[in-house]
Amino acid sequence: MDFESDYEIARTAEFLLSRNFTRVALQFPDELLKDSTRVVRALRDQLRSLRKCGAEQNGGNKDVRLFVMADTTYGSCCVDEVGALHVNAECVVHYGHTCLSPTTTLPAFFVIGKAPVSIPNCIESLSSYALTNDKRILVLYGLEYAYSIKHIREALVEASKLSESKSKLEVCFADVSCSVMNSSDDHRSSTGLVEPAGVCTDDNTYGMAPDNRYKIGGLIWTLPEGHKMEDYLLFWIGSDNPEFAIVVLTFNCCDIVRYNPKENRLVTDVSQQKRILKRRYYLVEKAKDANIVGILVGTLGVAGYLHMIHQMKDLITGAGKKVYTLVVGRPNPAKLANFPECDVFIYVSCAQTALLDSKEYLAPVITPFEAMLAFNRGSQWTGAYVMEFRDLINSSLVEVKESEEARFSFLSGGYVEDVDLQGKEIDKEDKGTLALANAMEKVLQLRDNPNSLKKSRARSGPEYFAARSYQGLDMHYDNSLPEPYLVGRSGRASGYEDEKK
Amino acid sequence: MVKFTADELRRIMDYKHNIRNMSVIAHVDHGKSTLTDSLVAAAGIIAQEVAGDVRMTDTRADEAERGITIKSTGISLYYEMTDEALKSYTGERKGNEYLINLIDSPGHVDFSSEVTAALRITDGALVVVDCVEGVCVQTETVLRQALGERIRPVLTVNKMDRCFLELQVDGEEAYQTFQRVIENANVIMATYEDPLLGDVQVYPEKGTVAFSAGLHGWAFTLTNFAKMYASKFGVDEAKMMERLWGENFFDPATRKWTSKNTGSPTCKRGFVQFCYEPIKQIINICMNDQKDKLWPMLQKLGVTMKSEEKDLMGKALMKRVMQTWLPASSALLEMMIFHLPSPGTAQKYRVENLYEGPLDDIYANAIRNCDPEGPLMLYVSKMIPASDKGRFFAFGRVFAGKVSTGLKVRIMGPNYVPGEKKDLYVKSVQRTVIWMGKKQETVEDVPCGNTVALVGLDQYITKNATLTNEKEVDAHPIRAMKFSVSPVVRVAVQCKVASDLPKLVEGLKRLAKSDPMVVCSIEESGEHIIAGAGELHLEICLKDLQDDFMGGAEIIKSDPVVSFRETVLEKSSRTVMSKSPNKHNRLYMEARPLEEGLAEAIDDGRIGPRDDPKVRSKILSEEFGWDKDLAKKIWCFGPETTGPNMVVDMCKGVQYLNEIKDSVVAGFQWASKEGALAEENMRGICFEVCDVVLHSDAIHRGGGQVIPTARRVIYASQLTAKPRLLEPVYLVEIQAPEQALGGIYSVLNQKRGHVFEEIQRPGTPLYNIKAYLPVVESFGFSSTLRAATSGQAFPQCVFDHWDMMSSDPLESGSQAAVLVTDIRKRKGLKEQMTPLSEFEDKL
Repeated sequence: MDFESDYEIARTAEFLLSRNFTRVALQFPDELLKDSTRVVRALRDQLRSLRKCGAEQNGGNKDVRLFVMADTTYGSCCVDEVGALHVNAECVVHYGHTCLSPTTTLPAFFVIGKAPVSIPNCIESLSSYALTNDKRILVLYGLEYAYSIKHIREALVEASKLSESKSKLEVCFADVSCSVMNSSDDHRSSTGLVEPAGVCTDDNTYGMAPDNRYKIGGLIWTLPEGHKMEDYLLFWIGSDNPEFAIVVLTFNCCDIVRYNPKENRLVTDVSQQKRILKRRYYLVEKAKDANIVGILVGTLGVAGYLHMIHQMKDLITGAGKKVYTLVVGRPNPAKLANFPECDVFIYVSCAQTALLDSKEYLAPVITPFEAMLAFNRGSQWTGAYVMEFRDLINSSLVEVKESEEARFSFLSGGYVEDVDLQGKEIDKEDKGTLALANAMEKVLQLRDNPNSLKKSRARSGPEYFAARSYQGLDMHYDNSLPEPYLVGRSGRASGYEDEKK
Repeated sequence: MVKFTADELRRIMDYKHNIRNMSVIAHVDHGKSTLTDSLVAAAGIIAQEVAGDVRMTDTRADEAERGITIKSTGISLYYEMTDEALKSYTGERKGNEYLINLIDSPGHVDFSSEVTAALRITDGALVVVDCVEGVCVQTETVLRQALGERIRPVLTVNKMDRCFLELQVDGEEAYQTFQRVIENANVIMATYEDPLLGDVQVYPEKGTVAFSAGLHGWAFTLTNFAKMYASKFGVDEAKMMERLWGENFFDPATRKWTSKNTGSPTCKRGFVQFCYEPIKQIINICMNDQKDKLWPMLQKLGVTMKSEEKDLMGKALMKRVMQTWLPASSALLEMMIFHLPSPGTAQKYRVENLYEGPLDDIYANAIRNCDPEGPLMLYVSKMIPASDKGRFFAFGRVFAGKVSTGLKVRIMGPNYVPGEKKDLYVKSVQRTVIWMGKKQETVEDVPCGNTVALVGLDQYITKNATLTNEKEVDAHPIRAMKFSVSPVVRVAVQCKVASDLPKLVEGLKRLAKSDPMVVCSIEESGEHIIAGAGELHLEICLKDLQDDFMGGAEIIKSDPVVSFRETVLEKSSRTVMSKSPNKHNRLYMEARPLEEGLAEAIDDGRIGPRDDPKVRSKILSEEFGWDKDLAKKIWCFGPETTGPNMVVDMCKGVQYLNEIKDSVVAGFQWASKEGALAEENMRGICFEVCDVVLHSDAIHRGGGQVIPTARRVIYASQLTAKPRLLEPVYLVEIQAPEQALGGIYSVLNQKRGHVFEEIQRPGTPLYNIKAYLPVVESFGFSSTLRAATSGQAFPQCVFDHWDMMSSDPLESGSQAAVLVTDIRKRKGLKEQMTPLSEFEDKL
């Protein structure tokens, strides 16, 4: 593949000039960083040559300044708006794999890149798979394969003409929504990339719109009237990445096969992905038992994240649990283990980074949707799964009738107390004149054997710390003499000098 | 029909001396339910003619179909005794009316938990033993449990009809059999004797043993016969009773009693002469339809038959005659009333076993005195599905005070800790109900000493709970029941249609409630798991789940799954070290197996996190040879802070060590729950923290650095200490005739089982075989066994212990390695175990 077309230099330059941006941030993921200088050079040349032509026409254009951004704080699939704002950029050009999450303040231009795919091979897999099934097929794909879909579609039509098979292939294709994104602040229309029909982004069309329009990640498609997603078989072209996992989770009632373009192979066994759904279900059940919840801020760019965080806070406090908001950048087990008091974390981030396999983590990390299930009393999981938290913002809390029943925990296999309901009742009593007496009573209550190694679970951070065995340094006032002078160790922690042989 | 009303029943409930709470317990198929029928019949709830056939207490369709009891069923019965019958009763009583709260329990081991629940709320037990099969494994189990709960037993030797009709044994032989049965039972009772309960052994000559034929509805104690002969011989009843059992012989020729068989052909043992032979004679006459001989004999015995009954023939006639002559109800009732304690008596010594709190507070005293005016103490021992779908009655016993409709009660769940708000609810009782036969009657209130069912609390009680008055905030709960079986067999269930998930969740919740033992949980992989005591238990649970609790929604069940444990065989081959993610902290650890018996001691709660460290170190040093100082350095137990693994601090003079203790503990709790082999729980491993190097800045040795490192170093030390898998093993008891032994042995061999005891039951052609059988192999075991022995062998399996699998799971291709791979596959983990190098770091 040719470098210029791979990075869509010409199109990028055109876009930048057409909008008259003067400061532009180029965001590269780690794996493409090595190309960044070449891209900048090429882009700059292109811009200059274009401007020359442009200057002749209307003149007065300023130079475009380009900034390269690397090492994003959160997932590299999202537009790093905060980073771009450091250089006062007016626009971000995002390279590489993207989740196409809407941005808050800056317009963005996406250069997705192109991954090679063997079209004849893909067609063959697709048609042979279609022949073995009588359901309609919907083709979904990783964005890096979007460029080839037009060819595949054409080739498929031809192939079906040639073969004249009795059963007509019914194959639908999803479209890529757009490669330009305006910030959610200004609602200007954007242009489609592959298909002009690929309608521009509109904040409210995410997820399942009522008129059979579906949108997931950057893909968008419309089903004919009267058809449901369950009637379709999904054919995914692309690698086994989070994008695919989201598709599997969201359409968990559909049969899904994956065409692996790297190995030119059809993968029909996606049980591993299906397991993810069950695993998420377990995490929800586990979260229900949590007393202290940490909200991990996983994005500072995706539109509506603040709203989501507030919504989560309200939800959790409403459920009578303690909530802490944490900003730790991209989470890893070591970082989160610094908060052992949290029983569960909610990760508010773009859809593609949201699914963390919590196996390595001390406490599970769940998505806002799962949190809604877990902390909204009486809500039940019927199998539907929503990934993008923007879809949750609109879905106001379902008012579930307060069932009297105590909550049944499947982890402990019995009823567990519900802190909130119990607490409220008792608090009411405390309001009375007996409040002081009651408080005294609690203080004077016989505590468990202090030497026992067993502890009950804490309800808040301070309670957790109070139960720790280490309470900080002991002040020995009686021993006021200064300690004798000692020679410490020297060297580095990976091997102090006295340890080296 | 029913000879009593709810009002009458309610009235006697206040006379605590006239109440008997008792359960009927026995080995499977020894005739509990059948015998219970005759008692129920006497109360007029079912007709006398069908007693023994209806199995009144088997209310479920599947119980009737399989002919076994599955759920324990309570029934309140009212009897009026005659003055004459009570003449020799010396205990306290008020009038001649008696209330018997009777609970029929299942005999199959898989349902032992039902027995436990029944025993808790009763004071006496009628132990039923088949006179031919004798004392079996389940008889022993339930007896042990009963005595553990301080339940006074009386015995009945059942299925006497088999002696007369089937085996046709002569008197002396029959006596020997009975004697052996009673002796065997007494041996067990003597083992579990308790000073407070006193002598619990049973003696026919004291009237604590009855002889019954449940199927035919007749029974007698020696009292019956003693009364009959006492006047004839002109001796008093007590003396006569003694003569009717044991080494007392009578020669009608000389009319002399001797203590030895004189050898004369007419000299016979008292029991044979005066009890066995007359019955045998009557039965023979009836069976041969010699009615001309029958009527004068009956007249002599003072038995009058109704005219229409005189037309009966053969077996029906025999049944009717025997029922009239020796009605089972009166013999058994008399035995219960005379020899089983009233709640007032029983609670005096049971309070110690029951109450968790200090034994001198008002609650303990109220229980001790069975005080209806005291604070309410009520124990809910099981939940009974109500006809109203999805709702449950909370069934239990009032130990003190009174429970009434509308009363606000404090519900203390099994996890309640006094002084905390955990597992505690305050709700009001909607209705109080008593069981009268098949129907329930609402009553205003129920005083202490009685069993009761409560409506309206089922949304707060999972399986059991202690109830007290709303204001009694100081009350401690009543001790939780201890089950003799544990849920080791598990299946994963899922619904066929994904959108049925809410139904499944609701169904599982109800299932968990309906059975004292079943555990409904969720696996890491997101599968819903039902765990039960055995195959049959699970089968019943699944059936209930689908039909009753999910309204017939279809479910898919997996093959039974057995959970394993991970342990180590030796001490780690070297001290292993792991570095924290920032490489600034190092933990050094070693793993070693816990001393033999220590894991069990932790399981039993003899050693645990709540103990006083001094007591703990005393037990550890005296019984397990630990160093006294070391015993004080236990950091924690795990998993779940109570499990049979521990972390011990072996460091000397390490700086900041106490600072990272909590983090190491957290890492250990995590790791011990998911071992390195197949993420099964660990068992019997002691982790020794040998050395620790920490960064001098607190920020660099925080939880984030230490917790994951502790987990890694624990895995590394487990892997270097010859890790092994533990598999659960059943104790199997099989009773079968000699010709079936070959089949049994071959099936057991094929299933990796091994026989460790084989005893011929004296006086019978039956053999008793005890064997160990891995639980994994037990699926389909009973059906294979039945097929191999043409239905003659019927196994009873109880979880016994964890057995170490000898093969090395780290050696690829070994049996354990295959097993590990299977488990990992099922759990959706990487099939390859994480290698040691991932956990251990080099300096």
